Amino acid sequence: MSLLRLQNISRSFGSLRALEEVSLEMSAGELRAVIGPNGAGKTTLFNMVTGFFPPSSGTVWFADRAINALSAERRTRLGIVRTFQITEIFPDLTVFENLRIGVETAARSNALPWMSRARRAGLERRVDELLAVTGLADKSERVVSELAHGDQRVVEVAIALSLEPKLLMLDEPTAGMGDEETDNMVSLIRRLHDERQLSILFIEHDMDVVFGIAQRITVLDQGRVLAEGTPDEVAADRRVRAAYLGEAA
Amino acid sequence: MNSRYVRLGVLWLLLLTVPWWLPLVGGYTQLGTRVLVYALAAMGLNLLLGFTGGLSFGHAAYYGLGAYGVGLTLKYLAPSTPLALVVGTLVGGVAATLLGPTLMRRRGVYFAMITLAFGQLFYFIVVRWNNVTGGEDGLTGFVRQPLHFGHYVLPLHDVAFYYLVLFCFAVATAIMGVLLRSPLGHTWVAIRENRRRAQFLGIPVERYIWASFAISGFVTALAGGLNAMLNNFTSPLDLYWVLSGDFVIIAVLGGMRSFWGPLVGAIIYLYAQDYLSSLTDNWQSFIGLIFILVVLLFPRGMLGMLRMKARSA
Amino acid sequence: MELLLFDAFNGLIVGMFYALMALGLSMILTLNSVVNMAHGGFLILGAYLAFTLEPYLGFWGALVAGPIVAMVFGLIVERVLIRPIYKRDDPVYSLLLTFGLALIMQDVARTIWGPAGLPFAIPDALNSSLSSSFFFLTGYRAVVVAIAFFAVVGLMLVMRYTRIGIRIRAGIRDLETVSGLGVNIYVLRAVNFGAGCLLAGLAGVLAAGQLGLTPTMGESLIMPSFVAIIVGGVGSFLGSVLGGLLIGVAAGVMTTYYPAASDAVIYGIMALVLIVRPRGLMGQEGMFE
Repeated sequence: MSLLRLQNISRSFGSLRALEEVSLEMSAGELRAVIGPNGAGKTTLFNMVTGFFPPSSGTVWFADRAINALSAERRTRLGIVRTFQITEIFPDLTVFENLRIGVETAARSNALPWMSRARRAGLERRVDELLAVTGLADKSERVVSELAHGDQRVVEVAIALSLEPKLLMLDEPTAGMGDEETDNMVSLIRRLHDERQLSILFIEHDMDVVFGIAQRITVLDQGRVLAEGTPDEVAADRRVRAAYLGEAA
Repeated sequence: MNSRYVRLGVLWLLLLTVPWWLPLVGGYTQLGTRVLVYALAAMGLNLLLGFTGGLSFGHAAYYGLGAYGVGLTLKYLAPSTPLALVVGTLVGGVAATLLGPTLMRRRGVYFAMITLAFGQLFYFIVVRWNNVTGGEDGLTGFVRQPLHFGHYVLPLHDVAFYYLVLFCFAVATAIMGVLLRSPLGHTWVAIRENRRRAQFLGIPVERYIWASFAISGFVTALAGGLNAMLNNFTSPLDLYWVLSGDFVIIAVLGGMRSFWGPLVGAIIYLYAQDYLSSLTDNWQSFIGLIFILVVLLFPRGMLGMLRMKARSA
Repeated sequence: MELLLFDAFNGLIVGMFYALMALGLSMILTLNSVVNMAHGGFLILGAYLAFTLEPYLGFWGALVAGPIVAMVFGLIVERVLIRPIYKRDDPVYSLLLTFGLALIMQDVARTIWGPAGLPFAIPDALNSSLSSSFFFLTGYRAVVVAIAFFAVVGLMLVMRYTRIGIRIRAGIRDLETVSGLGVNIYVLRAVNFGAGCLLAGLAGVLAAGQLGLTPTMGESLIMPSFVAIIVGGVGSFLGSVLGGLLIGVAAGVMTTYYPAASDAVIYGIMALVLIVRPRGLMGQEGMFE
């Protein structure tokens, strides 16, 4: 089933054409990487899919539904959830409290001025589940601003997860991480994909990560799709090597 | 968890027995009542300031409206204390609720500026409408009325009035406590911590800020009403921007992020004000100095500092 | 009709004071991200110091000295009190700080110069009217208008064409980038704050000659200046100036018809603007949202 489909998407900012006739199709349950040099339009693509701004032309389809007109909040409720390049978490709260907001949001109970003990316990169980899946259980009472950078980024993924996404979009999940933290994040992503059949679209610069876990890769360059395919196909593609991989190697 | 209940128990025990021990340390019951009133006003403000992240520098407006609501009710409408309190609370609370939409999309200093300016708007309305409000001289000619419980009449002398205020304080803080522990309260705190992230979660942030603003207005208005009954007098000073600043410093001094912070702040601030004004004519300069020192040296406030010490231990 | 013109003109003069204050406040608000509650304090600092120095320097000397002292004091305050708290992300602290400073400045002024109003002497030459039909058009008022006008225009020119002005404007948009480009933002913020206080001091001296000198004049001029910024639009210097003039004239006109409401009308205009056009008459979208 086609989960996300970009149909001839273009986006200009004044005279700057950030995205040019980008078409992309992603199936449910896929683990897709988006790579490309700086300024290729990857973050613009993310921003547009999540609803920060509409495309200048073209249509975005989510689960066979055209979502161009939907606001970012609406898209989040629809199941398109993202994380950010710069970690956006709730700094002075504990890990548990951070995840609890997401869980309450997903349960549509943000506005309740009171909650029964039973229901509260149910939500807390969900938080515990998330803590277990993301490996944060032993840190649940730690204040997030005091955690290591790598752990903070895991918290951010956990918050995104708590919203019960149908499409999880990770913007440079391993940015600023050391080797151990990167491995941790990679195995988390793999776990989420393999065990939960979560559809994941991620931007990455670390080619080891990309080629390590991605099922398919889309390569952007100067706002256009340069190539797309399995890791082997992309690695072998001459244009890709010339434009991008060649430099990085 | 147990220690929390113990601390709460001690707190309420102390509050319930104020008329007995306060005179022993050189105070008097009325001072205790004043502290409760200011603490309530600051706790109302802090619902918005410390827990939702809304910087209101004009909360005295709702306090003063509550005061005038009470005074005018007692003077012109009916000699009923409960009615006066209800009217006062509603007047201030509704004013805050109506103001909400003008503020919702603004943040930070601009939000503060608008609250400040609206505070002055109400100040001027009260000052200029002097045939009703008594203008600059204030509103007199009303007295807090005894409470009627069936046949039993309870005159509200100092001690009895203290318990009425404590009762209102208890009800208001209980409600605020429940709210802050609910998902609504969690959402408010999330908004304070990272408004953008909350928005990206799909939370309609503005509405929550509005709700917080409105509720805090009701609580602060109640405090203002109680203050009017404490003094059997109110004046435009109860709406003045300086008082708004007092409420903020009380909250910050005690600890903005703590529920009981404003109570601690009220105790310290009122004591300091009392002490300094008896010491020197230039007490205002020293109060200003307190503001500056708190900002530079104790930004987390008393309870905030205690909490940091506990965390690092 | 003459009364209306008289009141309107008076309102215009007061509006000029609001404009000067609002401009300085706006500069500090947008670049330093500080609501300078002590702006009124700098106003009276300039005014009282001019008053004290006038016997030695004369009117014109005092007119120059007052604002300069206010500016110097502003530079000191920025360095000692405000710079430590720039890195705090919660704006409550700068508000409380300047609030406390305002309390101190007002109290000190009251202590040194007394709570009563003091007469600020303006040269006899300026006291007489310039026109027979418009008696209220005194030389002094013409000077106020001229000086305020040149101050505002001068500042606009500095903002537009000098290196530091351009840097300040860029800093308002994106301080981080400006810093990254190698500009010393500490100096930038200090200069900006000082300039704002200079304007406050200037407003103070001019107002003293017109309205008389009291410790509370700073307080009474600062609030309408906030309104001027809101009405004119945050982020627009010209808006702040025009906003100040607008509310000054409106209040003036109101005194002809319904004097009791003349200061309330300022807030009425503000409420109207906030409902109908929340970003202000000339405000930019997205400021402080």
